Amino acid sequence: MSQQTLAEKVGVTRQTIIAIEKDKYSPSLEVAFKISNEFDVALETVFNYK
Amino acid sequence: MDFSYKEKGLIASLGVTLLIFGWYLYGAFSKLSLNPEPPGFVEIIILIVWVAVLESIIQGFIALKNKSQLEDERDKLIEKISYRYGYWFLSAGIWFLMVQILFDTRFDHLPVLTTPNGMFHLLLLFFVLAEVTNFVVQLYYYRKGF
Repeated sequence: MSQQTLAEKVGVTRQTIIAIEKDKYSPSLEVAFKISNEFDVALETVFNYK
Repeated sequence: MDFSYKEKGLIASLGVTLLIFGWYLYGAFSKLSLNPEPPGFVEIIILIVWVAVLESIIQGFIALKNKSQLEDERDKLIEKISYRYGYWFLSAGIWFLMVQILFDTRFDHLPVLTTPNGMFHLLLLFFVLAEVTNFVVQLYYYRKGF
């Protein structure tokens, strides 16, 4: 799945997806859940608390 | 360097603000001693219209070249943080002027700044600097992240 596709499905910009990937932005819970739902995995599989 | 739609818009706004208000304030401060009265209302309106028109044209061009103009939670958060910095800067400027007036220590070395024209342009300068702070902080957070 491309960054643009994921961004459109989650309702954020591609730049936000890039920022999350680069660990430059911590998304809201809502966006975090939407991302994990898109990949059909648990939240902690995609995100972890440092 | 790859800039997002938001960053291009911010750079354009920053450029226009610096160019128009910079040019105006430079002219105004260099001619302060010639005129103690503040500028007319129409003069300020013309200045603001210039900024608005120029910014709209540039933003229009940027929008044409970018398919997605969506604003999300990250944009809103960055905007909120930058407005806070701009507000602090503006508050500091206004407090500085208030202290100068209250304690009658107004620019003893530059008496021309104590005229209504001087005070008007100092206030305008702080408003413009607060706006510039707002743009710069947004650009910083878009680049650096948080």
